[in-house]
Amino acid sequence: MTPRDMSIATAAEAPREWRRFRYPHSLVSYGSWLIAFTVIVYSIEYLEIPLDRVLGMFGRMGEILANRYYPVDIDYIMDVDYIGSVVETIQMAYLGALFGLLITVPLAWFAAYNMTPSRLFVYPGARFLSMSCRAVHETIWTILFVSILGFGMLPGVLALTLFSAGFAAKLFAEEIEAIDMGPVEAMWATGANLFQVMVFGVFPQVRVAFTGIGIYTWDVAFRAATVVGFFGAGGMGWYLKRNVMQIETERVAAIILSIIVLVLISELISAWARNVVMKMK
Amino acid sequence: MAVLQVSDLYARYSAKGPDILKGISFDVEGDDFFAIIGPSGAGKSTLIRCINRLVTPTSGRIVFDGQEMTALSGKDLRRARRDIGMIFQEFNLINRMSVMDNVLSGRLGYTGNLRTLFRAFPRDDIDHALRLLDRVGLSDHVDKRADELSGGQRQRVGIARALMQNPKLMLLDEPTSALDPKISREIMGLVKTMAQELNVPCLCNIHDVKLAMEFCNKIIGLQDGVTMFSGPTEQMNEATLDEIYAMEVL
Amino acid sequence: MTASSDTASFGLSTETVLVTRRRKRLVSAIVTTVLLALVVWSVDVTVVKDTDWERIGSVGNVLEATNRFIGIDVDLFPTLLGPAIETLLIACLGTFLGVIICIPAAWFGAMNITPFKPITYPLARLMMTLSRSVHEIVWALFFVAVMGLGAMPGVFAIAVRSVGFIAKMSAEAIEDIDHGPVEAIRAVGGGPFQVFFYAVLPQVLPQIIGVVIFEWEINIRRSAILGLVGAGGLGLVFFRQMNTFNYHGVTTVILAILIIILLGEAISHAIRRRMI
Repeated sequence: MTPRDMSIATAAEAPREWRRFRYPHSLVSYGSWLIAFTVIVYSIEYLEIPLDRVLGMFGRMGEILANRYYPVDIDYIMDVDYIGSVVETIQMAYLGALFGLLITVPLAWFAAYNMTPSRLFVYPGARFLSMSCRAVHETIWTILFVSILGFGMLPGVLALTLFSAGFAAKLFAEEIEAIDMGPVEAMWATGANLFQVMVFGVFPQVRVAFTGIGIYTWDVAFRAATVVGFFGAGGMGWYLKRNVMQIETERVAAIILSIIVLVLISELISAWARNVVMKMK
Repeated sequence: MAVLQVSDLYARYSAKGPDILKGISFDVEGDDFFAIIGPSGAGKSTLIRCINRLVTPTSGRIVFDGQEMTALSGKDLRRARRDIGMIFQEFNLINRMSVMDNVLSGRLGYTGNLRTLFRAFPRDDIDHALRLLDRVGLSDHVDKRADELSGGQRQRVGIARALMQNPKLMLLDEPTSALDPKISREIMGLVKTMAQELNVPCLCNIHDVKLAMEFCNKIIGLQDGVTMFSGPTEQMNEATLDEIYAMEVL
Repeated sequence: MTASSDTASFGLSTETVLVTRRRKRLVSAIVTTVLLALVVWSVDVTVVKDTDWERIGSVGNVLEATNRFIGIDVDLFPTLLGPAIETLLIACLGTFLGVIICIPAAWFGAMNITPFKPITYPLARLMMTLSRSVHEIVWALFFVAVMGLGAMPGVFAIAVRSVGFIAKMSAEAIEDIDHGPVEAIRAVGGGPFQVFFYAVLPQVLPQIIGVVIFEWEINIRRSAILGLVGAGGLGLVFFRQMNTFNYHGVTTVILAILIIILLGEAISHAIRRRMI
């Protein structure tokens, strides 16, 4: 264990003191641990989480799953009406993503710091718009649109439009901000205007990335679309709501199962499509 | 007695792949600075990694310090590795940790899990690390992060980490290929001085023949996994070198 | 492809180029047509046929309905503070619990460190997919059914929903590590534990912390609506305002949500800047 090499010991001066934590640095390090710990303890306290019951909960959870949800009502989700609602959900997600992406293209342009028409006015405005689309959860958008337009798929489509716009705008803008400015400068040098620069200097560079993000947006929108119906906007979510209310747990289990399967399929399709797009590059 | 005896070593990466090493044999004595030279792809790196079993050879014997390395596994293997220091081409430092922590990581073979978790090393280890850092000329950089250092400085940390183990053998895997010529010479000089001072034999895998001739007392020349030359440095000549590096010209 | 590399026959290669170009154009035309047809069909089904145009009435009616939401209910302010804190804390605790669940998921799900590939790797992937594919509302419904109303089902819903993303990103980070330090620690005689804490964790920790903070930000957004299905926080207040047709109250709650999300964004920005 002890150093074998006496030559080093004699060659060097008596070793200086060394400690892992020294005053200002150690304060930050211990302080942040303390803060994190306090927040967690305080949260448990404030939210009145019964820690003693949490462990017992899992047994109960298994029991409930086995007794009430277990024989999954497959027949229910094979019904024509239900499958119709699945198709409607897909259509809502498709339209929502598409309209959202159409809004996103100009929005992302305005919200990209390097290409925005005006850094003083347009940029913060576009940033704010895209942020609010993102910040308000899709279910809140749904409830608002349902309250304005009544039940139906139109509010669902609109809610998904805003959701998709918020989701894609940030990614699009980041993509535009990351472009190579060389071609852009070349376009400016020829005397092109901003629109021409966008079309010839910027768009070719981000086209593939945009397509990839667009497909991904559809995927995400579909996940959101499975529940917008819960708040009155049609599709599968509406069936979910009805069965939750009627405590038809076996049907609920079936619907959740169908959601998982569909999301998996949509994820596979979107991964495949993105792959194809990347290869076309 | 030789510290390390390698005999008839064969190695390959996959079960069906070609042999990378085809029957290598050599002995490293107590005060050797042993060089392995040869063109890239000759199997130098594989050979070095067979010794401390980062790569498992397919057949042959490696006797280190009286133990048969090829028979070891699990805890015994880790115990044997503690006695073999290794210096890497790309330094292989933990970039986000301080120089001190990197040097101390040389003692991990002796450190329990709880101490590892809190990075609480014994006082002796810390003192030893400070002395070594002084010795390799990094006493001003003890608390810097490893990625703030230059290449030469990083390799000095690597040397300190290896010496931290109080090794009975040092393995050097292309210690200078990532460095410029002047720094390379400094690093080789430092390793040689330390090795002589601490009486540690070195096995050094090196691309640069000039450096090998200058610092090493024995040379083994590999080509395509086969020994082309083995002997003291003085016996090495242009003709043999040409033969070893013949493949590279093509 | 093969013809264009044949330098002896230029005419042929030009021909091939033209053919491939024409084929490409054809493919993109077909794809565009199909996509457009889908749009028309979808619009017809979801918008034209499904909407109760009479209920919506004229543009004026819509504007009027929208107009109801403009305004703030000042009386609501004092009652919002409690639920707002609750929302924030549900997000914190949910993220924390999610991170704990992530540890085995990321460990099993990283190809290079998974303990027993044929079983643990698919298991972890299943956990991640399950967590990501089910919407937080559905998770909350499930946990409310099991645990009853309150903040706890919210915490669990958030935790389970976060696992997928955090574990996936962490596993990917672990798969992408530089193998050098791992080799170095193994060479000094360190065991699996030492390798993990010295060679793997320091490399991936900054990335993982970034991901966790990002997820926490999203979780604030999520926990703000879980009250809609009975899991506490601002969502509950929102639901009550909506049910009592207090439209100004609805706007107020939305503003409160925006404020805590901005707060979360500011905190995460500050932490992330410090980290670098």
